[in-house]
Amino acid sequence: MVELRNVSVTYGSGANAVHALNNVSLKINDGEFTFVVGESGAGKSTLIKLLIREISADESKDGSTAINVNGFDLLRLRQKDVPKLRRTIGFVFQDYKLINNLNVYDNVAFVLRSIDAPARYIRKRVPQVIGLLGLQKKINCMTDDLSGGEQQRVAIARALVNNPQLIIADEPTGNLDPRTSAEIVKLLKEINDRGTTVMIVTHEHGLVKHIGGRVINIRKGEISHDMHI
Amino acid sequence: MRINSAAYLFKQGIRNIWNNRIMSLASFCIMTVSLLIVGFAVLFFANINTFIGNVEDKNEVIIFISDDAGEEYITELGEKLKSMDNVSSVSFYSKEEAFEDIKKDMTDAEDIFSYLGDESPLPDAYRIRIADIEKMSSTLMMINSLDHIEKVKAPYDFVSILRGLKTITTIVAGIILTALVLVSFVIISNTTRASVDMRKREISIMKYVGATNFFIKVPFFVEGLVMGICAGAVAALFTFLGYDSIVELLSSETVLFNAMGISGFIPIEGFIGYITVGYIAVGAVISAVGTVLSTRKYVRV
Repeated sequence: MVELRNVSVTYGSGANAVHALNNVSLKINDGEFTFVVGESGAGKSTLIKLLIREISADESKDGSTAINVNGFDLLRLRQKDVPKLRRTIGFVFQDYKLINNLNVYDNVAFVLRSIDAPARYIRKRVPQVIGLLGLQKKINCMTDDLSGGEQQRVAIARALVNNPQLIIADEPTGNLDPRTSAEIVKLLKEINDRGTTVMIVTHEHGLVKHIGGRVINIRKGEISHDMHI
Repeated sequence: MRINSAAYLFKQGIRNIWNNRIMSLASFCIMTVSLLIVGFAVLFFANINTFIGNVEDKNEVIIFISDDAGEEYITELGEKLKSMDNVSSVSFYSKEEAFEDIKKDMTDAEDIFSYLGDESPLPDAYRIRIADIEKMSSTLMMINSLDHIEKVKAPYDFVSILRGLKTITTIVAGIILTALVLVSFVIISNTTRASVDMRKREISIMKYVGATNFFIKVPFFVEGLVMGICAGAVAALFTFLGYDSIVELLSSETVLFNAMGISGFIPIEGFIGYITVGYIAVGAVISAVGTVLSTRKYVRV
């Protein structure tokens, strides 16, 4: 579950201060499928950074600010516990962020290796997730040899492999053609149907209308609409 | 940490060295050279100190005894000198002996000696050697306070030269060692920074998926440690071969060294084991600390 209450984020100070988020409150329940839309510079990336504790919210004078992500109180979270929070979140990036000199298997396994998972679990879990995304035949391929859609599937497999409670996809279709984009979003919807909360950050309104679901629109650092379509 | 994770991180460290091979090779070479310079500097100064020690042992103080001292007192004085802590040897030099020696040295002054007759005009004396040349002044003060001491002839200039030489070698050795350690730190830090830069993408993914700082840093630590150990081992080998060759080359100049009072070089065989361990330990510690410090700066979750 994601819950933000009266959250503001300001970059810089004094005359140079930029209010990236302004008194934002929202709640995304477990198992929800949500689009976060908005123009460039609206505050979408700031929201993501906030959820993974890459940045911190402004301190509120009245103490009304609260940020809870997957049971972690982000205002009280100690720096050394940030990795614990991040292990409950899977990320999908616009540019895939795959490691070019590793094959598909090793790219997906990289996540589990990075969090000190047992070798036996890695051997079992990685092919399972790769299979789930229909990449069995590509398991030994280098990622450079894959199409954009396949690379994004590998990125989704990597986000999924650690059984996250929440998947955040930041412009996951930004580098893909419309047909592949629709496939990728449908794939994320299927993952959501299995119980994982999915949050897709995008500026492609057409795609949002095509798939449907909860849509949170951010404009100039504030939530302008929060509706189901 | 699990064994499979430790093995994985170790492999990552080795992979870093390979992926970053040009920088790693440069770093390895400079570290090896730095360690070699440190090692040879230490050996050079150890030899200098041994030489100084040899020369120190050859110091001689002559204590002239006044004519009014009786034979009994002269014997007693000898015993007193022998019982002093900082006196390593005592030998009596009679006035007859001294007169004979001077006659032998000055063969062209027979006229003067015939005029003087057979009786020695010189005083009796004790020749002593000082054990610790640094404490020479206090020892001589004690001797001067004894009765019937006419004069004490000590190599003060020689002592001050030796002291100066020792101080200079200590300061120079300290400066060289400190400079080389700092240079090694900078080199390792730059190599790590290049390595971190090369793995920026992997590091950012690791951060996003919840890898701890420790887990991210371990491969860099392994990279530094392996390079430090290898540089130490290679430096030890070169030191062994190089030092032996230098000693062999210099040993042909025995006449010169004997004239300088230098009896021999420190043999490396006796402590090559310590040198190897020292090199590897210094290389590993400098590399590991340098890596940890630079990753602290560049890798932050």
